Amino acid sequence: MSTSDGFVQYHFRDAIGGFFEFPTENARAILPPELQPIEPHHGSSVLSVMAFDFHDSPVGDYGELILSILVSPRIEHGQPMPRSAFYPFRLATTTRESREHAIERWHLPHYMQDISLTWERGDGHITIHATDRGEPIVDMRVTEHEWSPVEHRYQAFMNDDEGAYTSTIVMAGQFSENEEERGGITIHSQAMTGLLEDWDVDFTPFREMWMKNGLQTFHPLQTLASYARR
Amino acid sequence: MATRVEARTSMNPLDYDYSSFFYSSSDDPFSILEPYNEWYNQAVPEGYYLFAQAMSTPPRGSVDLTEGLHRNHVKLVNLSSYNYLGLSYRREVIEAGKAALDKYGLGAAGSPILSGTMDVHCELENALARFKKKEAVMVFPTGYSTNVGMISALMRPGDWVIADQNAHASIVDGAILSKANVRFFRHNNPADLEKKLKQTTGKKLVAIEGVYSMDGDECPLPELVAVAKKYGARILLDEAHSAFVYGANGRGVAEKFGLEDEVDIHIGTFSKALGGQGGYVAGTQNLYNYLKGFARSRVFSCALSPVVTAGVLKALELAIAEPELRTKLWSNVAHMRGRLEEEGVDVGDSTSQIFPIMVRNDRRIFELGHKLLEAGLYLQPIIYPAVAKHRSRFRVSVSSSHTIEQLDEGVSILARVLREEGVLV
Repeated sequence: MSTSDGFVQYHFRDAIGGFFEFPTENARAILPPELQPIEPHHGSSVLSVMAFDFHDSPVGDYGELILSILVSPRIEHGQPMPRSAFYPFRLATTTRESREHAIERWHLPHYMQDISLTWERGDGHITIHATDRGEPIVDMRVTEHEWSPVEHRYQAFMNDDEGAYTSTIVMAGQFSENEEERGGITIHSQAMTGLLEDWDVDFTPFREMWMKNGLQTFHPLQTLASYARR
Repeated sequence: MATRVEARTSMNPLDYDYSSFFYSSSDDPFSILEPYNEWYNQAVPEGYYLFAQAMSTPPRGSVDLTEGLHRNHVKLVNLSSYNYLGLSYRREVIEAGKAALDKYGLGAAGSPILSGTMDVHCELENALARFKKKEAVMVFPTGYSTNVGMISALMRPGDWVIADQNAHASIVDGAILSKANVRFFRHNNPADLEKKLKQTTGKKLVAIEGVYSMDGDECPLPELVAVAKKYGARILLDEAHSAFVYGANGRGVAEKFGLEDEVDIHIGTFSKALGGQGGYVAGTQNLYNYLKGFARSRVFSCALSPVVTAGVLKALELAIAEPELRTKLWSNVAHMRGRLEEEGVDVGDSTSQIFPIMVRNDRRIFELGHKLLEAGLYLQPIIYPAVAKHRSRFRVSVSSSHTIEQLDEGVSILARVLREEGVLV
């Protein structure tokens, strides 16, 4: 829900994410030059694939699929430190209203079709199937580890024709993450993911994350002067 | 409906780690120092990141140490040092070092290609070449500089270095310095190596290790060699933790698998089994001659101290002359493995003298490390980013010089503390 001071809340049943390595030259091809990709290994950047199952938000129930690149956060003395930072370069939602809200409010770049997100909740694992009018986009499976309540702070960097922006995002809920390499992803050849076809993405996530019964809070959007245009 | 989440102004030190402090948003290179020290100065007094605790005895099976939290002097069972053959403090090694000190003085006082090469350096290189059955061996001042100098000397922009994802930082940094393209294949996975090699053209170097230092697991050398050969790649095998330990004659994992001639570049260090310092490249005379001119980490460093060199030469002689040291080491390893299994301790995929004691709890590993220290056992916590998230562990290094009593006492302390803390059930 929106508050008068610009914070916006989104409640979700499940949020899952996987971090996948891919060559840094492919990351740099779409990152604004001021953003530095995080490299777990020299020459390897991180593709983050996340999916949300929102049940209470300013735009009601909806699902969301987010493709991002991990970038270096902006760390400043005296300010709370983000756990990590993302550059979302392609999102898709299950409803038009949620898509228009995210574009207008957060300047997030969207695939302009309503997609379908199917969630398969198993014993110790969870899988999403993202499709567009029956055409598969992404299938991703993550596995659980130990659960604990957390409140994590992240940064997101966005840019569009109007400018460059950042927002702090706080994620609170029951959280599990692991690097046991038990999950997986299939990225299908489809319009939303066409960009990834030549990216040489590793199909095993080196980190799997899962948050249950959580709350995502967007802090007020800030305009950045430093990279208003690429 | 949950209430709004307010920004926190205080931090939990364990929400961050070294990798959080790589970049800052300012144009001042010093701007990262304040946030880093804000974190570091909170973390250390709470008992986290207590590395580099000073030892005041040789790295024997039992050591004296000044612990980092309260600065207390403690006597501990030591399962942390490499020194796999117990040679670092052998009387003959110390005497060789003392004699070299009398003969040469403290340092080499020059680059090895200028005035720094002394006859003891040549003796060590020749002795190692005979031992490794290679045409030539080149000695480097450290193990780190060996890989850095070797890889950056040979590889060029546009070439490809394909390394195991768990390869040592020296391999990674050598590849970066060479400006070659770098790809990492999944750990010990020949199929993924093949996938990566298929995508490359031109000069290729596959860089792997005989035994990996954090997991203590061997590489599947025959399978990796077969894939590398199929794609015309040269093979660099770093035997830092396996040279003088593996193989019928101690020539490493390559000897164990009968692949000494298939590996193009043999790397090793003197700081592990030989208990000294420095590293070496073993290969052809042509390779030696080229490295002499192009291995910048060696050319632009002072040569290894003649004192250390003489000690390493003596340690090498002892390692060759006393195969019973390896026999004792592997006997100790078998005993340690058995005791750890009896206690139900998770040692991951270890097949070597290195045992990861898997705790898999990044939040508790430092606290457990301090409790082990208080109980009389010296083990170092290893945490992300040195290892994967939630794969935190202690690393046990077994030496031939450990007594059975020391190993048993170490395991007893370890199991008791892990049990008391609920890590072992």
